[in-house]
This record gives sequence, structure tokens and C-alpha cells, in this order.
Amino acid sequence: MATTTEQRSDSEDAEDGVIAKWTKGVIGDDEKRARLYRALFYVACGFFLVTTLFPFYWLLVLALTPNSQILTGDWSLPVIGIEFPHPQGFNPQAFVEVFQQIPFHLYVFNSFVLATVTTIIVLLVASLAGYVFGRLDFPGKGPLMLGVLMVSYFPPAAFLIPLFDAFLGNAVVIPFLGIELFEPPRLVNTPGSMIMPFSALFLPLAIFILTTFYAQIPDGLEDAARVEGTTRLGALFRVIMPLSAPGVATAAVLTFIAVYNEYFFSSIMALENVPENWSPLVGGILSYQDQYTTDFNLMAAASIVGVIPILILVIVAQERIVSGLTAGGLKE
Amino acid sequence: MSTEQEADTANRESRRSGPLVAVTRWLENLGETAFAYLLLTPVFVILGAIALYPLLRTFELSMYINVLGTGDPEFVGLQNYVDMFTGARDPDFPGSTMFLPDVSTSSSFPFVHVSGWFRSALVVTLVFTIVSVFFETVIGFGQALILDQEFRGRRLVRVAIIIPWAIPLVIQGMIFYLMFHPSTGFLTEYLANVGILAPTNTLNDPLSALIIVTIADIWKTTAFMALLILAGLQSVDRSLYDVARVAGASRWQQFKLITLPLVLPAVAIAVLFRTIDAMRIYGLIDITSSCTVVPSLSCMVVETFNTHRGLASAIAFVTAGIIGILAMIVIYRQYKEGF
Repeated sequence: MATTTEQRSDSEDAEDGVIAKWTKGVIGDDEKRARLYRALFYVACGFFLVTTLFPFYWLLVLALTPNSQILTGDWSLPVIGIEFPHPQGFNPQAFVEVFQQIPFHLYVFNSFVLATVTTIIVLLVASLAGYVFGRLDFPGKGPLMLGVLMVSYFPPAAFLIPLFDAFLGNAVVIPFLGIELFEPPRLVNTPGSMIMPFSALFLPLAIFILTTFYAQIPDGLEDAARVEGTTRLGALFRVIMPLSAPGVATAAVLTFIAVYNEYFFSSIMALENVPENWSPLVGGILSYQDQYTTDFNLMAAASIVGVIPILILVIVAQERIVSGLTAGGLKE
Repeated sequence: MSTEQEADTANRESRRSGPLVAVTRWLENLGETAFAYLLLTPVFVILGAIALYPLLRTFELSMYINVLGTGDPEFVGLQNYVDMFTGARDPDFPGSTMFLPDVSTSSSFPFVHVSGWFRSALVVTLVFTIVSVFFETVIGFGQALILDQEFRGRRLVRVAIIIPWAIPLVIQGMIFYLMFHPSTGFLTEYLANVGILAPTNTLNDPLSALIIVTIADIWKTTAFMALLILAGLQSVDRSLYDVARVAGASRWQQFKLITLPLVLPAVAIAVLFRTIDAMRIYGLIDITSSCTVVPSLSCMVVETFNTHRGLASAIAFVTAGIIGILAMIVIYRQYKEGF
């Protein structure tokens, strides 16, 4: 088939230009067309690789360039003469300075503690709920799942004001009735003021991921355990839970990343950007923007340090992330 | 469960004793519905206290003024909502009014009569949402088509595409702050020469800042879109393509006649998800620019809740309402497909 096409295009050569000839060849020739598709495919791949990774390269450039050089703002490559950002000088010292200016490691540590505690709470609660939604049938199941789903859609701003009041230690009042329930302890500047909203915000996603996983476990396994005389809870902990370990791991990874990355409550509930008040990563990075507004190399270096834990997590757990996002997003 | 088994279980357990056994036995004898609700109690407690209570309380607060004042809060009904739309309280908030020309006297569109910062916040939020979700869908579709192929280096490309999604928001904001800050960013000069960005004070120019925030959001969340669309692509029955190829369909025809119609429902859900999420935009603006330069709805809540609690609650509730309506659409669609 290829030969006949070539013959035909040869005969029409006389009146066609180079581009028209090439186009005709590609349209007619399967192999050429496949090659063109492959070329386009790799071009698109390369484009996405560059656009997603370039900002990180830019961070590295800034972090390694001494700050005085950054401020002159000249990024032109001496040889080619076009502006392409590259490190001007080599100053790894910035990565040390990040920890000297402020106790940056303490902010990262706070983020780790907050993310870990929230993940544990969310997993405990969501495992029970996922089991119930995934494996039991009871009246009111549909509306309850919808209610949980609804919560995950609301903006954090809709919860902020009453929560902030309560965390300041003001009395919790039953809405519209004016009855004072109790006076909560003052929670701002403590982990509680962040862990509580985080748990509520990220609970729905974990519940839906786990519901999907629990629902996939064949009924026969649980029945077999029950016939053997295992109790209902025993079957949950000894049969169902181990089988849903991949789901639990997925929910754990996604919750951890979500909390580590959270901005809204992290920036508002720690009233000052000091690590003693449990200010997380957000506070650490922002204090470079607030106090050392011209230390651009330190801002970049701090960002790189803050990104590394997440980078490792993504590379190690990419399968889990992909399956979790698609399960939580589409399969409710 | 047969009576024989029940008796057997009861027998075995009666040989042991202690509070733990008693609790276990009580749990075992609960009906399925009671058992389900018991296990769901923690969810109810958490979501009730941290989501439902604040939502209702926000609605209540939105009907008062002087909540933070020295005197007693005063009930004003829906006055805060009226003020928000008419712009009566705008003089209290010298926010941006630069996104719409002042047409409060000339136009007949419903939202154009509302003036000042709330109008700006609404416009900013909607413009940001529409533009960012549009580009995320188109680019995300492209990325999903790539990830759907088998090729060497697929894992690497996938990690590269996911990574922006996993970046902490504060660092994402910082990256784009550093990329477009006039004294560091190499991009600002080019884009200013073309006339896209303001040449000086770029991050404090409303339109420039909105463009930068939109680009930053597209960079980060396209990955999420790509993964959701990828899930749709992978659920397409592969044998359909074999049939099409035998019938002599070109790649483009295969895409247009098989892939697109079958994937469209997944894309629709993904678009709604992203729309809901984009309407909440706050942090990115706070880091790269400032809430007074690019006011979004959530921005306005955060900016005002320490000084004008009633009004802030009204904005918060309106924001929740708009998002709630969108969420209902998503939920309705999923409910129709069956849980």
C-alpha cells in the first residue's frame, strides 16, 4: 500500500511545493503518519515536563544565586546572549542560612505533627464510616452520605467565624436559640485549633476512598469469618481491615499531603508566625516574606526545603495517589 | 444468623467475663441499623461540631450588626445582605473597585448595580473560576491523553504531572511570587513589554495579579483534572477501538466518535469539582498578591471578620450558598447514577 501512495505522490510532484508534498505524504502513508503522531506525542510530553518542572528549576536558580546578584536582575546567558535563567554564582550557604535566620526546622516539625495527628484521627473515624457505608445497608444511608459529601464542598470561610470565636474561648451558643452550651478553653495558638478544622475538612475524602475500598471486598470472606464464630467487630478488625490496607494507605497519604499543604486555617489559627505557637510550614515560609522581604534567595531555599518531604512522598506513593484521587473523585 | 450459631456464640462468650466482653456482647446483639449509626457517631460529632454548627451560627451572625462592638449586638434581619449587594457599607472597606467601571447608574444587569468591593469580589471570583477551570480542562485533557498511552518513561511523566498538585499552597504561592516579582522575576519584563502585565508594581496591579494567580492555579491543579479525566479514559472499553480500526476509522475519528462521547460525563464531573474548588480561592491571592488588590469572596471574609463580623458572616454565607448550589448539581448527578 505504501508503494502505491508514493508512486501517486511522485507523479503529482511537479505542481506541488515542498510542504504540500510532505503533507500529502503524511496523509497517505500510514507509517509516516504514525511517525508524525509519535513526534507530536513526544513534543507534548516535553512541553508538559518543562512547564511543570520549570518553576522548581527557577527556585533552585534563585536559591543558589547570591542575593546581591538576584537584585541586579540580569539573567542573560553570556554566550548565547538571550535571557535564560541560570544560577549566577554558587551559594549553597543559603540552605544553611534558612535555618539560622529563623528556626525553620521547628515549623516543618509542627507541620509534621499536625499532619500525623490529623491523619490518625481521620483514619480511625473514616475507617468506621467507610465500613458502614461500604458494607452495611440501613435506612438513611443515602442522605447521610450526601450530607458528608456536602461538607467537603463548602468553603472553609463558611466555617471560619464561629470556629475562630470558639477557639478564642468565647461561649458556644446554640444558633437561633441563644442558649449558652459551654465555654471552651482558649485554643488559638495550640494544635487543637488546627487539628479540629483539618479533621472535619479532610474527613469526607477519606470516607469516600475507604467506602470504595471496603465495598470491593467480597461478601463471602466476611460471611466465612462470621460462620467460624468471629464476632462482628472481630470480622471488621481481623478480616476486613487487613484486606483494605491499600485503601487505608491511600487515604493516609492523601490526608497527610492535604494537611501538610493546607493554607486557610494554618495561616489564621496560629495568631503569630512563631513556632512556639504551633505555626506550621505556612508561618515559616511567610515570615521570610514578611520580615526579610528582600532575601529572595532565602525564600527560594526555604521553599525547596519545605517541598522535599512532599516530593519524596509523591515519588514513593504515586500509585496510591493516582488511585485515591480517582476513587475519591469519581467513584463515590 | 441461625439460632444455633447465636447460642453457640453466647455460650462461648458466657465462659469469659469482664466489662470488655459485656460491651462486645452488647454490640453483637445490636441490630444492623443501630450498629451502623453507632459506628457513625464519631463522624456526626466531628462534622456536627466543626461544620454544621459553624454554618448555622454564621447564618445567625449574618443577621446582626455590632457583634464585636461594646454594646449589645443588634438584630437587623437581612440588612447585611442588602448592604452587601447595594454597596451601602463600601466606604468602610477601601478595597479594589478596579475590575468593573462604575456603572451603578447606567446598566440594567442584575449584578452591575452592586458596587464596590463585594461586586469586585464576585466578579474576581467568577472570572478566576471560569478562566482557570477552562484552561485546566483543556490542558488536563491533553495530559490525560498522554498518560493513557503506554510508553517508556511514563512513570516519570506521571510524577512530573502530579508533583505540582502535591506542592503546599504556600510554596506554590511563593514560587509565583518569585517568578513575577519585578525585582526577581525574569518573566515580568517580557510580559510587560507585550502589554500583558503592568511593568512596575506588578503584584499590586489588580489585573496583572489576577492573571498571575490564574496561571499559578492552572499550573497546580491541571494535574487533578488530568487524573479524573484519565480515570474516565481508562474506563472506556478497549475493544471499541479494535472494532473502529477494523472498520477503517482514523485516529481522529476514533477520538471524536468513541473517546469524546464516552469520556464527557467524567469531564463534566471533574469540571464541577474544580469549579467548586476554584470558587474558594483565597490562599494563593494572599501569598502572591494581596486580598485588597485581588478580592475574592473568601478573601473578603478573612479581611473583614475581625472588624465587621455580621457583614463578614453574610459574605461567608453567600459564598457557601453559591457553592452549595453547585454542589447540589454534582450530588444530584451522582445520586441519579446510583451510589
